[in-house]
Amino acid sequence: MIINGTILWLALPFFVGFTVYLLPGTARLLTLGVTLVSLAYAMALFGQPAPLDLHLLDSFGVTLLADDLSAYFILTNALVTAAVILYCWDTSKTAFFYTQAIILHGSVNAVFVCADLISLYVALEVIGIAAFLLIAYPRQDRSLWVALRYLFVSNTAMLFYLVGAALVYQTHQSFAFTGLRGAPTEAVVLIVLGLLVKGGVFVSGLWLPLTHAEAESPVSALLSGVVVKAGVFPLVRCALLMEELDPLLRVFGVATALLGVVYALVETDAKRVLALSTVSQVGWVIAVPPAAGVYALAHGLVKAALFLTVGNLPSRDLTVLQQRPMATSLWLPLMAGSVAIAGCPLFLSFGAKAFTLEYALPWQGIMLNVAAVGTALVYAKFLVLPHRRDATSTAKLGLWTALALLLGSLLLANVVYLEAYTGPKVLKALAVIGGGLLFHRLVVQRFRFTLPQVLEDFEHLIGGMSVMVVVLFLMVGSWLAI
Amino acid sequence: MLHACVYATILLGFFGIIFKENLVMKIIAMDVMSTGVIALFVLVAARTGVRTPIVGILPRDGYADPVPQAVILTAIVIGFSIQALMLVGVMKLARDNPTLETRAIEEEYR
Repeated sequence: MIINGTILWLALPFFVGFTVYLLPGTARLLTLGVTLVSLAYAMALFGQPAPLDLHLLDSFGVTLLADDLSAYFILTNALVTAAVILYCWDTSKTAFFYTQAIILHGSVNAVFVCADLISLYVALEVIGIAAFLLIAYPRQDRSLWVALRYLFVSNTAMLFYLVGAALVYQTHQSFAFTGLRGAPTEAVVLIVLGLLVKGGVFVSGLWLPLTHAEAESPVSALLSGVVVKAGVFPLVRCALLMEELDPLLRVFGVATALLGVVYALVETDAKRVLALSTVSQVGWVIAVPPAAGVYALAHGLVKAALFLTVGNLPSRDLTVLQQRPMATSLWLPLMAGSVAIAGCPLFLSFGAKAFTLEYALPWQGIMLNVAAVGTALVYAKFLVLPHRRDATSTAKLGLWTALALLLGSLLLANVVYLEAYTGPKVLKALAVIGGGLLFHRLVVQRFRFTLPQVLEDFEHLIGGMSVMVVVLFLMVGSWLAI
Repeated sequence: MLHACVYATILLGFFGIIFKENLVMKIIAMDVMSTGVIALFVLVAARTGVRTPIVGILPRDGYADPVPQAVILTAIVIGFSIQALMLVGVMKLARDNPTLETRAIEEEYR
Protein backbone atom coordinates (compact mmCIF):
# COMPACT_ATOMS: atom_id res chain seq x y z
CA MET A 1 0.00 0.00 0.00
CA ILE A 2 2.57 2.54 1.09
CA ILE A 3 4.94 1.28 -1.63
CA ASN A 4 2.52 2.04 -4.45
CA GLY A 5 1.59 5.21 -2.59
CA THR A 6 5.21 6.34 -2.60
CA ILE A 7 5.53 5.99 -6.35
CA LEU A 8 2.22 7.71 -7.02
CA TRP A 9 3.12 10.49 -4.62
CA LEU A 10 6.48 11.00 -6.38
CA ALA A 11 4.88 11.17 -9.82
CA LEU A 12 1.87 13.30 -8.87
CA PRO A 13 3.55 16.76 -8.74
CA PHE A 14 4.99 16.35 -12.24
CA PHE A 15 1.69 15.14 -13.63
CA VAL A 16 -0.19 17.99 -11.96
CA GLY A 17 2.50 20.46 -13.02
CA PHE A 18 1.89 19.80 -16.70
CA THR A 19 -1.89 19.49 -16.31
CA VAL A 20 -1.95 22.90 -14.66
CA TYR A 21 -0.30 24.37 -17.69
CA LEU A 22 -3.10 23.02 -19.87
CA LEU A 23 -5.87 24.08 -17.47
CA PRO A 24 -4.63 27.40 -16.04
CA GLY A 25 -7.88 28.05 -14.17
CA THR A 26 -7.29 25.17 -11.79
CA ALA A 27 -3.65 26.03 -11.06
CA ARG A 28 -3.95 27.22 -7.48
CA LEU A 29 -6.35 24.54 -6.29
CA LEU A 30 -4.51 21.63 -7.89
CA THR A 31 -1.08 22.68 -6.67
CA LEU A 32 -2.40 23.26 -3.18
CA GLY A 33 -3.93 19.78 -3.36
CA VAL A 34 -0.54 18.27 -4.20
CA THR A 35 1.04 19.86 -1.14
CA LEU A 36 -1.75 18.39 0.99
CA VAL A 37 -0.98 14.94 -0.45
CA SER A 38 2.67 15.45 0.52
CA LEU A 39 1.57 16.47 3.99
CA ALA A 40 -0.51 13.30 4.33
CA TYR A 41 2.37 11.20 3.01
CA ALA A 42 4.79 12.67 5.54
CA MET A 43 2.33 11.88 8.33
CA ALA A 44 1.94 8.31 7.05
CA LEU A 45 5.71 8.00 7.02
CA PHE A 46 5.92 9.03 10.67
CA GLY A 47 3.52 6.20 11.44
CA GLN A 48 5.69 3.57 9.73
CA PRO A 49 7.35 1.26 12.24
CA ALA A 50 10.42 0.57 10.07
CA PRO A 51 12.18 2.57 7.33
CA LEU A 52 10.81 1.97 3.88
CA ASP A 53 13.45 0.48 1.57
CA LEU A 54 12.42 0.25 -2.07
CA HIS A 55 14.24 -1.24 -5.04
CA LEU A 56 12.47 -0.44 -8.27
CA LEU A 57 13.28 -2.83 -11.12
CA ASP A 58 16.29 -5.01 -10.39
CA SER A 59 19.70 -4.28 -8.93
CA PHE A 60 20.42 -1.40 -11.31
CA GLY A 61 17.06 0.27 -10.82
CA VAL A 62 16.18 3.26 -8.71
CA THR A 63 16.50 2.76 -4.98
CA LEU A 64 14.42 4.72 -2.48
CA LEU A 65 14.74 5.00 1.27
CA ALA A 66 12.06 6.73 3.30
CA ASP A 67 12.23 7.03 7.09
CA ASP A 68 11.60 9.55 9.85
CA LEU A 69 14.38 11.81 8.60
CA SER A 70 12.75 11.95 5.16
CA ALA A 71 9.39 12.55 6.81
CA TYR A 72 10.63 15.70 8.56
CA PHE A 73 12.05 17.11 5.33
CA ILE A 74 8.95 16.20 3.31
CA LEU A 75 6.77 17.85 5.95
CA THR A 76 8.86 21.02 5.67
CA ASN A 77 8.54 20.94 1.91
CA ALA A 78 4.77 20.43 2.01
CA LEU A 79 4.12 23.22 4.53
CA VAL A 80 6.42 25.79 2.91
CA THR A 81 5.12 25.14 -0.61
CA ALA A 82 1.51 25.31 0.63
CA ALA A 83 2.25 28.62 2.36
CA VAL A 84 3.84 30.06 -0.78
CA ILE A 85 0.84 29.02 -2.89
CA LEU A 86 -1.53 30.59 -0.35
CA TYR A 87 0.61 33.74 -0.39
CA CYS A 88 0.38 33.97 -4.18
CA TRP A 89 -3.35 33.19 -4.18
CA ASP A 90 -4.59 36.73 -4.86
CA THR A 91 -1.62 37.91 -6.92
CA SER A 92 -1.52 37.85 -10.69
CA LYS A 93 0.92 34.96 -10.98
CA THR A 94 0.35 32.93 -14.13
CA ALA A 95 -0.05 29.17 -14.41
CA PHE A 96 3.62 29.02 -15.44
CA PHE A 97 4.63 30.08 -11.95
CA TYR A 98 2.52 27.38 -10.30
CA THR A 99 3.80 24.76 -12.76
CA GLN A 100 7.38 25.55 -11.84
CA ALA A 101 6.60 25.76 -8.13
CA ILE A 102 4.98 22.34 -8.07
CA ILE A 103 7.68 20.73 -10.22
CA LEU A 104 10.20 22.16 -7.79
CA HIS A 105 8.13 20.68 -4.95
CA GLY A 106 8.11 17.27 -6.64
CA SER A 107 11.81 17.17 -7.36
CA VAL A 108 12.69 18.27 -3.83
CA ASN A 109 10.46 15.43 -2.57
CA ALA A 110 12.36 13.04 -4.82
CA VAL A 111 15.65 14.12 -3.23
CA PHE A 112 14.26 13.38 0.23
CA VAL A 113 13.52 9.72 -0.56
CA CYS A 114 16.14 8.72 -3.08
CA ALA A 115 19.03 6.49 -2.03
CA ASP A 116 21.28 6.30 -5.05
CA LEU A 117 23.62 8.80 -6.60
CA ILE A 118 22.03 9.00 -10.03
CA SER A 119 18.42 9.52 -8.91
CA LEU A 120 19.82 12.21 -6.67
CA TYR A 121 21.66 13.78 -9.60
CA VAL A 122 18.55 13.89 -11.75
CA ALA A 123 16.43 15.33 -8.95
CA LEU A 124 19.02 18.00 -8.14
CA GLU A 125 19.29 19.06 -11.77
CA VAL A 126 15.51 19.35 -12.10
CA ILE A 127 15.57 21.50 -8.96
CA GLY A 128 18.22 23.69 -10.61
CA ILE A 129 16.11 24.23 -13.73
CA ALA A 130 12.84 24.86 -11.87
CA ALA A 131 14.55 27.26 -9.47
CA PHE A 132 16.16 29.06 -12.42
CA LEU A 133 12.77 29.60 -14.03
CA LEU A 134 11.23 30.79 -10.76
CA ILE A 135 14.04 33.28 -10.08
CA ALA A 136 13.87 34.56 -13.66
CA TYR A 137 10.06 34.82 -13.51
CA PRO A 138 9.94 38.67 -13.35
CA ARG A 139 11.87 38.68 -16.68
CA GLN A 140 13.99 41.67 -15.77
CA ASP A 141 17.65 41.72 -16.69
CA ARG A 142 18.70 41.71 -13.07
CA SER A 143 16.67 38.68 -12.06
CA LEU A 144 17.78 36.95 -15.26
CA TRP A 145 21.42 37.49 -14.35
CA VAL A 146 20.90 36.24 -10.80
CA ALA A 147 19.14 33.16 -12.14
CA LEU A 148 21.84 32.50 -14.73
CA ARG A 149 24.52 32.80 -12.10
CA TYR A 150 22.66 30.33 -9.90
CA LEU A 151 22.23 27.79 -12.68
CA PHE A 152 25.85 28.15 -13.74
CA VAL A 153 27.26 27.59 -10.28
CA SER A 154 24.94 24.69 -9.54
CA ASN A 155 25.55 22.99 -12.89
CA THR A 156 29.33 23.25 -12.55
CA ALA A 157 29.08 21.71 -9.09
CA MET A 158 26.90 18.92 -10.45
CA LEU A 159 29.50 18.13 -13.12
CA PHE A 160 32.04 17.52 -10.37
CA TYR A 161 29.46 15.39 -8.62
CA LEU A 162 28.98 13.28 -11.77
CA VAL A 163 32.71 12.61 -11.99
CA GLY A 164 32.55 11.41 -8.39
CA ALA A 165 29.56 9.19 -9.20
CA ALA A 166 31.44 7.63 -12.13
CA LEU A 167 34.38 6.83 -9.86
CA VAL A 168 32.09 5.27 -7.24
CA TYR A 169 30.57 3.08 -9.94
CA GLN A 170 33.99 2.05 -11.13
CA THR A 171 34.85 0.78 -7.66
CA HIS A 172 31.61 -0.92 -6.64
CA GLN A 173 29.58 -1.47 -9.84
CA SER A 174 26.73 0.27 -8.03
CA PHE A 175 25.46 3.80 -7.47
CA ALA A 176 24.11 3.25 -3.94
CA PHE A 177 24.96 5.89 -1.29
CA THR A 178 26.78 3.26 0.75
CA GLY A 179 29.22 2.91 -2.12
CA LEU A 180 31.02 5.97 -0.80
CA ARG A 181 32.57 3.63 1.72
CA GLY A 182 35.62 2.11 0.12
CA ALA A 183 35.46 4.48 -2.85
CA PRO A 184 38.65 6.38 -3.76
CA THR A 185 39.26 9.64 -1.93
CA GLU A 186 38.71 11.76 -5.02
CA ALA A 187 35.25 10.25 -5.55
CA VAL A 188 34.17 11.20 -2.02
CA VAL A 189 35.71 14.66 -2.39
CA LEU A 190 33.94 15.44 -5.66
CA ILE A 191 30.54 14.18 -4.53
CA VAL A 192 30.74 16.05 -1.23
CA LEU A 193 31.85 19.18 -3.08
CA GLY A 194 28.82 19.04 -5.38
CA LEU A 195 26.46 18.67 -2.45
CA LEU A 196 28.15 21.38 -0.38
CA VAL A 197 27.74 23.88 -3.21
CA LYS A 198 24.13 22.86 -3.81
CA GLY A 199 23.34 23.12 -0.11
CA GLY A 200 25.03 26.48 0.39
CA VAL A 201 27.54 25.29 2.96
CA PHE A 202 30.56 27.35 4.09
CA VAL A 203 32.59 29.24 1.46
CA SER A 204 31.02 27.32 -1.39
CA GLY A 205 27.64 28.62 -0.25
CA LEU A 206 28.39 32.26 -0.92
CA TRP A 207 26.32 32.19 -4.11
CA LEU A 208 23.32 31.98 -1.81
CA PRO A 209 22.98 35.51 -0.35
CA LEU A 210 22.58 37.32 -3.68
CA THR A 211 20.33 34.64 -5.16
CA HIS A 212 17.97 34.43 -2.21
CA ALA A 213 17.93 38.17 -1.63
CA GLU A 214 17.22 39.20 -5.21
CA ALA A 215 14.47 36.68 -5.95
CA GLU A 216 10.86 37.70 -5.30
CA SER A 217 9.87 37.04 -1.71
CA PRO A 218 7.68 33.95 -2.32
CA VAL A 219 10.51 32.46 -4.38
CA SER A 220 13.04 33.37 -1.69
CA ALA A 221 10.81 31.61 0.82
CA LEU A 222 10.83 28.46 -1.31
CA LEU A 223 14.58 28.63 -1.92
CA SER A 224 15.56 29.27 1.68
CA GLY A 225 12.84 27.12 3.17
CA VAL A 226 13.31 23.91 1.21
CA VAL A 227 15.62 24.08 -1.80
CA VAL A 228 18.86 24.44 0.16
CA LYS A 229 17.78 21.46 2.25
CA ALA A 230 17.80 19.38 -0.91
CA GLY A 231 21.55 19.91 -1.00
CA VAL A 232 22.23 19.11 2.62
CA PHE A 233 19.80 16.20 2.99
CA PRO A 234 21.96 13.72 1.02
CA LEU A 235 24.97 14.75 3.11
CA VAL A 236 23.07 14.06 6.30
CA ARG A 237 21.75 10.81 4.91
CA CYS A 238 25.28 9.67 4.00
CA ALA A 239 26.64 10.69 7.38
CA LEU A 240 23.95 8.65 9.12
CA LEU A 241 24.56 5.64 6.87
CA MET A 242 28.35 5.88 7.19
CA GLU A 243 29.84 7.17 10.43
CA GLU A 244 33.11 7.92 8.64
CA LEU A 245 31.59 11.04 7.08
CA ASP A 246 30.14 12.30 10.34
CA PRO A 247 33.17 14.33 11.57
CA LEU A 248 33.44 16.10 8.21
CA LEU A 249 29.86 17.34 8.42
CA ARG A 250 30.22 18.38 12.04
CA VAL A 251 33.25 20.56 11.26
CA PHE A 252 31.68 22.12 8.18
CA GLY A 253 28.40 22.64 9.99
CA VAL A 254 29.92 24.61 12.83
CA ALA A 255 32.13 26.63 10.47
CA THR A 256 29.13 27.50 8.33
CA ALA A 257 26.99 28.44 11.33
CA LEU A 258 29.64 30.92 12.46
CA LEU A 259 30.47 32.27 8.99
CA GLY A 260 26.83 33.00 8.18
CA VAL A 261 26.27 34.78 11.49
CA VAL A 262 29.36 36.98 11.07
CA TYR A 263 28.29 38.03 7.58
CA ALA A 264 24.69 38.62 8.66
CA LEU A 265 25.76 40.79 11.61
CA VAL A 266 27.35 43.47 9.43
CA GLU A 267 24.59 43.49 6.81
CA THR A 268 22.01 46.29 6.57
CA ASP A 269 19.75 44.95 3.86
CA ALA A 270 16.83 43.03 5.36
CA LYS A 271 16.61 40.32 2.70
CA ARG A 272 20.37 39.80 2.66
CA VAL A 273 20.33 39.42 6.44
CA LEU A 274 17.75 36.68 6.07
CA ALA A 275 19.67 34.99 3.24
CA LEU A 276 22.93 35.04 5.19
CA SER A 277 21.14 33.72 8.23
CA THR A 278 20.02 30.82 6.00
CA VAL A 279 23.70 30.01 5.42
CA SER A 280 24.22 29.95 9.16
CA GLN A 281 21.12 27.82 9.81
CA VAL A 282 22.14 25.30 7.13
CA GLY A 283 25.28 24.92 9.19
CA TRP A 284 23.15 24.07 12.24
CA VAL A 285 21.27 21.46 10.22
CA ILE A 286 24.38 19.54 9.19
CA ALA A 287 26.41 20.17 12.35
CA VAL A 288 24.53 17.46 14.22
CA PRO A 289 23.22 14.85 11.73
CA PRO A 290 20.91 12.98 14.17
CA ALA A 291 18.98 16.20 14.86
CA ALA A 292 18.91 17.41 11.24
CA GLY A 293 15.25 16.59 10.56
CA VAL A 294 13.77 18.58 13.42
CA TYR A 295 16.07 21.52 12.83
CA ALA A 296 15.31 21.61 9.11
CA LEU A 297 11.58 21.67 9.84
CA ALA A 298 11.93 24.50 12.35
CA HIS A 299 14.16 26.57 10.11
CA GLY A 300 12.13 26.01 6.93
CA LEU A 301 8.90 27.20 8.53
CA VAL A 302 10.28 30.25 10.27
CA LYS A 303 12.48 31.40 7.38
CA ALA A 304 9.61 31.16 4.92
CA ALA A 305 7.45 33.24 7.29
CA LEU A 306 10.19 35.86 7.64
CA PHE A 307 10.82 36.15 3.90
CA LEU A 308 7.12 36.52 3.17
CA THR A 309 6.77 39.24 5.84
CA VAL A 310 9.89 41.17 4.85
CA GLY A 311 8.67 41.18 1.24
CA ASN A 312 5.80 43.43 2.39
CA LEU A 313 7.83 45.96 4.34
CA PRO A 314 7.98 49.50 2.92
CA SER A 315 11.74 49.19 2.31
CA ARG A 316 14.45 46.54 2.33
CA ASP A 317 17.06 48.84 3.83
CA LEU A 318 17.19 48.52 7.63
CA THR A 319 18.46 52.11 8.04
CA VAL A 320 15.42 53.39 6.13
CA LEU A 321 13.14 51.16 8.20
CA GLN A 322 14.61 52.77 11.33
CA GLN A 323 13.27 56.14 10.16
CA ARG A 324 9.97 54.98 8.68
CA PRO A 325 7.77 53.02 11.09
CA MET A 326 6.06 49.96 9.60
CA ALA A 327 2.50 48.87 10.29
CA THR A 328 2.07 47.07 13.61
CA SER A 329 0.24 44.27 11.81
CA LEU A 330 3.47 43.55 9.93
CA TRP A 331 5.72 44.07 12.90
CA LEU A 332 3.97 41.37 14.92
CA PRO A 333 4.75 38.44 12.58
CA LEU A 334 8.23 39.86 12.00
CA MET A 335 8.81 39.88 15.73
CA ALA A 336 7.35 36.39 16.17
CA GLY A 337 9.60 35.04 13.42
CA SER A 338 12.68 36.79 14.78
CA VAL A 339 12.32 35.50 18.34
CA ALA A 340 11.37 32.07 16.99
CA ILE A 341 14.53 31.72 14.92
CA ALA A 342 16.58 32.92 17.89
CA GLY A 343 15.19 29.94 19.81
CA CYS A 344 12.39 31.42 21.92
CA PRO A 345 10.33 28.87 23.89
CA LEU A 346 6.79 28.17 22.56
CA PHE A 347 8.15 27.79 19.02
CA LEU A 348 9.57 24.58 17.55
CA SER A 349 12.93 26.29 17.00
CA PHE A 350 13.50 26.20 20.75
CA GLY A 351 13.01 22.44 20.87
CA ALA A 352 15.11 21.99 17.73
CA LYS A 353 18.00 23.98 19.18
CA ALA A 354 17.83 22.05 22.45
CA PHE A 355 17.70 18.76 20.52
CA THR A 356 20.69 19.75 18.38
CA LEU A 357 22.76 20.83 21.39
CA GLU A 358 21.86 17.59 23.15
CA TYR A 359 23.48 15.52 20.39
CA ALA A 360 26.36 17.93 19.78
CA LEU A 361 29.91 16.96 20.70
CA PRO A 362 31.43 18.96 23.59
CA TRP A 363 33.56 21.18 21.33
CA GLN A 364 30.57 21.75 19.09
CA GLY A 365 28.37 22.75 22.00
CA ILE A 366 30.51 25.79 22.77
CA MET A 367 30.74 26.96 19.17
CA LEU A 368 27.04 26.39 18.52
CA ASN A 369 26.12 28.36 21.61
CA VAL A 370 28.25 31.22 20.27
CA ALA A 371 26.39 30.90 16.96
CA ALA A 372 23.06 30.96 18.85
CA VAL A 373 24.00 34.20 20.60
CA GLY A 374 25.07 35.55 17.20
CA THR A 375 21.69 34.62 15.74
CA ALA A 376 19.92 36.45 18.56
CA LEU A 377 22.12 39.49 17.84
CA VAL A 378 21.31 39.36 14.12
CA TYR A 379 17.58 39.21 14.71
CA ALA A 380 17.73 41.97 17.30
CA LYS A 381 18.08 44.20 14.21
CA PHE A 382 14.46 43.40 13.36
CA LEU A 383 13.21 43.56 16.94
CA VAL A 384 14.30 47.18 17.48
CA LEU A 385 12.56 48.47 14.34
CA PRO A 386 9.84 51.04 15.09
CA HIS A 387 6.19 50.41 14.25
CA ARG A 388 2.96 52.41 14.23
CA ARG A 389 -0.59 51.23 14.34
CA ASP A 390 -1.86 53.65 11.69
CA ALA A 391 0.95 53.10 9.18
CA THR A 392 -0.36 51.83 5.85
CA SER A 393 0.53 48.36 4.71
CA THR A 394 0.16 46.80 1.29
CA ALA A 395 -0.17 43.26 2.64
CA LYS A 396 -2.85 41.14 1.04
CA LEU A 397 -5.00 38.42 2.53
CA GLY A 398 -2.63 35.75 1.18
CA LEU A 399 0.11 36.86 3.54
CA TRP A 400 -2.06 36.27 6.59
CA THR A 401 -3.23 32.80 5.55
CA ALA A 402 0.36 31.83 4.74
CA LEU A 403 1.65 33.19 8.05
CA ALA A 404 -1.15 31.48 9.97
CA LEU A 405 -0.17 28.17 8.38
CA LEU A 406 3.58 28.59 8.99
CA LEU A 407 3.50 30.03 12.50
CA GLY A 408 0.63 27.73 13.51
CA SER A 409 2.63 24.69 12.43
CA LEU A 410 5.63 26.06 14.26
CA LEU A 411 3.62 26.12 17.49
CA LEU A 412 1.91 22.76 16.89
CA ALA A 413 5.10 20.94 15.95
CA ASN A 414 6.37 21.44 19.49
CA VAL A 415 4.92 18.01 20.27
CA VAL A 416 7.93 16.32 18.70
CA TYR A 417 10.27 17.32 21.50
CA LEU A 418 8.40 18.42 24.60
CA GLU A 419 11.27 17.23 26.83
CA ALA A 420 13.08 20.46 25.94
CA TYR A 421 10.80 22.43 28.25
CA THR A 422 12.83 22.33 31.43
CA GLY A 423 13.51 25.33 33.63
CA PRO A 424 17.22 25.85 32.88
CA LYS A 425 16.79 25.46 29.13
CA VAL A 426 13.90 27.95 28.97
CA LEU A 427 15.84 30.43 31.09
CA LYS A 428 18.92 30.01 28.94
CA ALA A 429 16.96 30.60 25.73
CA LEU A 430 15.35 33.73 27.14
CA ALA A 431 18.71 34.96 28.41
CA VAL A 432 20.25 34.47 24.96
CA ILE A 433 17.52 36.53 23.29
CA GLY A 434 17.54 39.21 25.98
CA GLY A 435 21.33 39.37 25.92
CA GLY A 436 21.32 39.66 22.15
CA LEU A 437 18.85 42.54 22.28
CA LEU A 438 20.79 44.34 25.00
CA PHE A 439 24.15 43.88 23.29
CA HIS A 440 22.63 45.13 20.05
CA ARG A 441 21.33 48.30 21.74
CA LEU A 442 24.54 48.98 23.62
CA VAL A 443 27.25 48.01 21.15
CA VAL A 444 26.28 46.91 17.68
CA GLN A 445 24.00 49.87 16.92
CA ARG A 446 26.83 52.31 17.65
CA PHE A 447 29.35 50.85 15.25
CA ARG A 448 29.19 49.98 11.63
CA PHE A 449 31.50 47.48 9.98
CA THR A 450 31.34 46.16 6.47
CA LEU A 451 32.80 42.97 5.10
CA PRO A 452 33.97 42.87 1.50
CA GLN A 453 31.54 41.13 -0.85
CA VAL A 454 34.27 40.27 -3.30
CA LEU A 455 34.04 36.54 -2.53
CA GLU A 456 30.52 36.58 -3.90
CA ASP A 457 31.75 37.54 -7.39
CA PHE A 458 30.92 35.00 -10.04
CA GLU A 459 34.52 34.07 -10.82
CA HIS A 460 35.38 33.72 -7.15
CA LEU A 461 32.43 31.41 -6.63
CA ILE A 462 33.74 29.05 -9.31
CA GLY A 463 37.32 29.50 -8.09
CA GLY A 464 36.13 28.83 -4.54
CA MET A 465 35.12 25.36 -5.69
CA SER A 466 38.72 24.51 -6.58
CA VAL A 467 39.85 25.78 -3.18
CA MET A 468 37.20 23.61 -1.54
CA VAL A 469 38.43 20.61 -3.53
CA VAL A 470 41.91 21.09 -2.03
CA VAL A 471 40.53 21.53 1.50
CA LEU A 472 38.33 18.47 1.12
CA PHE A 473 41.23 16.41 -0.22
CA LEU A 474 43.26 17.30 2.84
CA MET A 475 40.39 16.51 5.19
CA VAL A 476 39.11 13.33 3.56
CA GLY A 477 42.52 11.98 2.60
CA SER A 478 44.42 12.41 5.81
CA TRP A 479 41.81 12.55 8.49
CA LEU A 480 38.73 10.48 7.70
CA ALA A 481 38.91 6.71 7.63
CA ILE A 482 37.01 6.05 4.42
CA MET B 1 46.49 7.58 -21.40
CA LEU B 2 42.81 7.87 -22.29
CA HIS B 3 42.06 8.61 -18.67
CA ALA B 4 44.59 11.42 -18.68
CA CYS B 5 42.98 12.93 -21.78
CA VAL B 6 39.53 12.76 -20.25
CA TYR B 7 40.65 14.42 -17.02
CA ALA B 8 42.54 17.04 -19.03
CA THR B 9 39.32 17.86 -20.90
CA ILE B 10 37.41 18.26 -17.65
CA LEU B 11 40.11 20.49 -16.16
CA LEU B 12 40.47 22.60 -19.29
CA GLY B 13 36.73 23.17 -19.31
CA PHE B 14 36.83 24.18 -15.67
CA PHE B 15 39.67 26.64 -16.26
CA GLY B 16 37.75 28.02 -19.21
CA ILE B 17 34.81 28.77 -16.91
CA ILE B 18 37.10 30.67 -14.59
CA PHE B 19 39.33 32.52 -17.05
CA LYS B 20 37.07 33.35 -19.99
CA GLU B 21 35.56 36.81 -19.63
CA ASN B 22 32.68 36.43 -22.04
CA LEU B 23 29.52 34.75 -20.82
CA VAL B 24 29.00 32.74 -24.02
CA MET B 25 32.58 31.50 -23.82
CA LYS B 26 31.96 30.45 -20.24
CA ILE B 27 28.96 28.41 -21.32
CA ILE B 28 30.99 26.77 -24.09
CA ALA B 29 33.72 26.00 -21.55
CA MET B 30 31.10 24.35 -19.39
CA ASP B 31 30.06 22.29 -22.39
CA VAL B 32 33.68 21.17 -22.82
CA MET B 33 33.74 20.18 -19.17
CA SER B 34 30.54 18.17 -19.48
CA THR B 35 31.90 16.48 -22.62
CA GLY B 36 34.83 15.36 -20.50
CA VAL B 37 32.48 13.95 -17.86
CA ILE B 38 30.49 12.08 -20.49
CA ALA B 39 33.70 10.64 -21.93
CA LEU B 40 34.67 9.49 -18.45
CA PHE B 41 31.43 7.53 -18.12
CA VAL B 42 31.95 5.92 -21.52
CA LEU B 43 35.49 5.05 -20.52
CA VAL B 44 34.37 3.52 -17.22
CA ALA B 45 31.84 1.41 -19.11
CA ALA B 46 34.21 0.30 -21.82
CA ARG B 47 36.98 -0.66 -19.44
CA THR B 48 35.66 -4.19 -19.08
CA GLY B 49 35.02 -4.95 -22.73
CA VAL B 50 34.20 -3.71 -26.16
CA ARG B 51 31.19 -5.72 -27.33
CA THR B 52 27.63 -4.43 -27.31
CA PRO B 53 25.65 -6.32 -24.66
CA ILE B 54 22.95 -8.01 -26.76
CA VAL B 55 21.41 -11.31 -25.71
CA GLY B 56 22.15 -13.99 -28.28
CA ILE B 57 24.64 -16.62 -29.27
CA LEU B 58 27.58 -14.25 -28.92
CA PRO B 59 30.13 -15.08 -26.22
CA ARG B 60 28.97 -13.77 -22.84
CA ASP B 61 32.17 -12.09 -21.71
CA GLY B 62 33.97 -9.02 -22.89
CA TYR B 63 30.95 -6.77 -23.27
CA ALA B 64 30.86 -3.10 -22.31
CA ASP B 65 28.92 -2.32 -19.13
CA PRO B 66 25.56 -0.86 -20.23
CA VAL B 67 24.66 0.80 -16.91
CA PRO B 68 26.95 3.86 -17.02
CA GLN B 69 26.03 4.39 -20.66
CA ALA B 70 22.34 4.36 -19.84
CA VAL B 71 22.95 6.72 -16.96
CA ILE B 72 25.02 9.15 -18.96
CA LEU B 73 22.28 9.39 -21.59
CA THR B 74 20.10 10.98 -18.93
CA ALA B 75 22.92 13.30 -17.96
CA ILE B 76 23.51 14.32 -21.59
CA VAL B 77 19.86 15.24 -22.00
CA ILE B 78 19.87 17.23 -18.78
CA GLY B 79 23.14 18.90 -19.76
CA PHE B 80 21.98 20.12 -23.12
CA SER B 81 18.62 21.32 -21.83
CA ILE B 82 20.42 23.37 -19.18
CA GLN B 83 22.75 24.78 -21.80
CA ALA B 84 19.85 25.67 -24.06
CA LEU B 85 18.14 27.40 -21.15
CA MET B 86 21.27 29.37 -20.32
CA LEU B 87 21.81 30.43 -23.91
CA VAL B 88 18.22 31.73 -24.08
CA GLY B 89 18.90 33.70 -20.91
CA VAL B 90 22.13 35.06 -22.38
CA MET B 91 20.29 36.10 -25.55
CA LYS B 92 17.88 38.16 -23.48
CA LEU B 93 20.72 39.65 -21.44
CA ALA B 94 22.62 40.52 -24.61
CA ARG B 95 19.98 43.05 -25.60
CA ASP B 96 21.05 45.42 -22.85
CA ASN B 97 24.64 44.18 -22.38
CA PRO B 98 25.89 43.57 -25.90
CA THR B 99 29.47 42.79 -24.83
CA LEU B 100 28.36 40.09 -22.36
CA GLU B 101 31.46 40.70 -20.24
CA THR B 102 30.77 38.99 -16.93
CA ARG B 103 32.51 41.65 -14.90
CA ALA B 104 30.53 44.50 -16.44
CA ILE B 105 27.24 42.67 -15.97
CA GLU B 106 28.13 41.90 -12.38
CA GLU B 107 28.96 45.57 -11.66
CA GLU B 108 25.65 46.64 -13.11
CA TYR B 109 23.38 44.20 -11.29
CA ARG B 110 25.09 43.94 -7.94
